[in-house]
Amino acid sequence: MTDEKIKVNVFRYDPAVDQEPYYQTYNVPWEPGMSAMTALDYIYNHLDGTLAYYDHAGCDLGICSQCTGKINGKSGLFCQTAVKEEITLEPRKKERVLKDLITQRAESSK
Amino acid sequence: MRNVKTIETDVLVIGGGGAGFRAAIEAREKECNVLMISKGPLARCGATPMAGADYTLDGKSMSKIEGLTGDPNDSAEKVFNDIVTQGCYLNNQKLVEQYIKRAPQCLKELMDWGLKVKLSDERMIFTTGTGMMNVLLRKAKSVGVDLLEDVAVLELLTHENSVVGALGLNVLTGEFIHFRCKAIVMATGGWHKAFWPNTGMRDLSGEGIAMAHRAGADIGNMEFITFCCNTFYAPPMWRGSIAPYIISLICGGRLTNNRGEDVLKGYDSFLVEKGTLTEWNKSFLSFVTAKQARDGKVFANGGLHYTRGDASWEMMELVASMVFPNWKYKALDLTEWGRMLQENEPVEVGHAVEFFEGGIVINDQFETAVAGLYAAGECALGTFGANRVFAAITEIFTQGADAGNNAGEYAHNRQSADLDLSALKELKEKALQPLTVSKGERPAELRKRVQRKSQRYLGPIRNRDELETFLDYLEDIKVSVLPKLSTTNDSRTYNKEWMDALELPNMIQLLESSVRSALMRTESRGVHYREDFPDTDNDNWLQEIIVKHDTATFQLNQRPLTITSMSPPTGVTPYLDFMKQMMEAHSDTGGKH
Ligand SMILES: Cc1cc2nc3c(=O)[nH]c(=O)nc-3n(C[C@H](O)[C@H](O)[C@H](O)COP(=O)(O)OP(=O)(O)OC[C@H]3O[C@@H](n4cnc5c(N)ncnc54)[C@H](O)[C@@H]3O)c2cc1C
Repeated sequence: MTDEKIKVNVFRYDPAVDQEPYYQTYNVPWEPGMSAMTALDYIYNHLDGTLAYYDHAGCDLGICSQCTGKINGKSGLFCQTAVKEEITLEPRKKERVLKDLITQRAESSK
Repeated sequence: MRNVKTIETDVLVIGGGGAGFRAAIEAREKECNVLMISKGPLARCGATPMAGADYTLDGKSMSKIEGLTGDPNDSAEKVFNDIVTQGCYLNNQKLVEQYIKRAPQCLKELMDWGLKVKLSDERMIFTTGTGMMNVLLRKAKSVGVDLLEDVAVLELLTHENSVVGALGLNVLTGEFIHFRCKAIVMATGGWHKAFWPNTGMRDLSGEGIAMAHRAGADIGNMEFITFCCNTFYAPPMWRGSIAPYIISLICGGRLTNNRGEDVLKGYDSFLVEKGTLTEWNKSFLSFVTAKQARDGKVFANGGLHYTRGDASWEMMELVASMVFPNWKYKALDLTEWGRMLQENEPVEVGHAVEFFEGGIVINDQFETAVAGLYAAGECALGTFGANRVFAAITEIFTQGADAGNNAGEYAHNRQSADLDLSALKELKEKALQPLTVSKGERPAELRKRVQRKSQRYLGPIRNRDELETFLDYLEDIKVSVLPKLSTTNDSRTYNKEWMDALELPNMIQLLESSVRSALMRTESRGVHYREDFPDTDNDNWLQEIIVKHDTATFQLNQRPLTITSMSPPTGVTPYLDFMKQMMEAHSDTGGKH
């Protein structure tokens, strides 16, 4: 890890308590070869335990594709998008947000 | 408390990896209603989609399947000999026989259902984990298995030592679900999440083994944990990926420490050859890497440098073009690594937890000590003994199919029992506790601390002092931290802290079982090496260690081996010498297994 920090702006919205979505900025230590997921993990582990992103069954290696979202407005996998400077992370569909970066599933799973 | 949905079914399958799917499909054949629950997204969770994946079977049967290679001179007897010697004789030989007998049929079925085979050798076919999951999902839907995703089962419900149901939690919404059923197949895989780094999905925290244990099933051989060698330690985006393991298994390469020394120098040359170019590499190289780490000879992330070494670039490029076409391993872009390999630049690699030989005790009908509770796949104990070289992938199909069949038969003519609502209420209150405790301990912090300690104290190399230190730590956590775990807010919607708090007690329970077993096993064998007992002791330790769950503590007992046709050796032999003997005992069939 270097001493360098980057700003990570994250889309936040809990429909149960928030009137509307907002963005929260976190300062995250930068390390070479880190991904947006590395940043989210850092935030959850060290800064803010309330942040929701798909992680209870993610693979972090580009295989399960559950961490799809928007990185600086572009669709991609959080776990396989390299982060080098300030970055904005959003859910794949803002209209279907369950909480923060988690969206509802398209259909019930039965 | 809110209204809770109750779902009724005949057979409840817990776990949506290969074993769970295969069990569900088979149970459906018995004209049962079958519900399969997966903690993560359908067909994209558990270890199965992460696998390479190889499926092993005897080469003779394989050679009779159209389109596959297979060595016609191979035989069931040779495979049996190989699995049992690789397992250093701790295998349940009845389960090994079942594996060998059922493997060809289970592969043919998969191919009939649409599985594509990428390549094959003497006794292995190579396909992809995601490809297998796609085939299973399609088949399960076509035969009418009910499927539920993003639901974690928290506890089993029993009545007079028979299963009657389970309590689940919808991870996304935070709603509880009551399940009422006649039989349960546990297929929840391993508990990789108790370690860091690891190679598994983030859903594998061992609740299945732990809840079966709490419900009255025994668990065993918990000290045997396989670490995959040569996984990426850096950069973070690749960490835990087994790509270098795959390349090094096929092409070789060089491992050096922070002093520039070739770490394999000084080891017996036969051991090095078999321990790098066959699937023995997981046990041998992880042992070597762990030793380097303990001697302080590792790089910043605790690993070694892997380079192409003397291996030819043409060969590596060719192999990569087959296993990672265009240097893409799914969404993982390894182009830069390709360049580094060509130019002989190092990447940092090391051992990471990959497979658990131990688990829920089952008999050859896949029954546990609790009536109606079956187990299959990685969460079950038995086939691989002290060390796995043959494919775990085969086992999830052979065991899944038979466990599903037996659970279906059991459920068929049985009435379901009523759920004990007051017991359920108590369980729910307990589960909700982290949401109500204020100013407690942060679950994420505890998980991180535990993961690092597991890696350090319960890795491939252990000793009494370290195991005792770890045990003290775990016992302390149990009393002073677990009850105080608390979430930042009480939202039930996708609350990661809550999930961590619910998973942690299960990991601690399995870690404690594992550490106690590792302490008890005063010898070295397979993937368990004790610095203070460096010999394989066939006079005293041809025994399994079974852990019984008592409300207050654990009871450890030795259990005699299940032997059908191959008697184990006697005598006491230094660890690596015995490993070499087991490698030498291999039949004349070639390939990686
Ligand atoms: C990276 C990697 C690569 C591997 N490669 C190979 C290979 O090439 N060849 C080989 O033979 N073996 C390989 N293995 C091992 C092999 O993949 C596994 O042993 C096997 O897939 C396990 O299958 P399973 O069905 O038993 O469990 P898993 O596939 O792990 O599935 C477990 C399921 O249980 C679910 N679950 C867990 N807890 C709960 C709960 N509380 N409630 C509900 N559901 C729950 C999970 O979400 C998941 O759906 C590999 C392992 C890893 C980690």
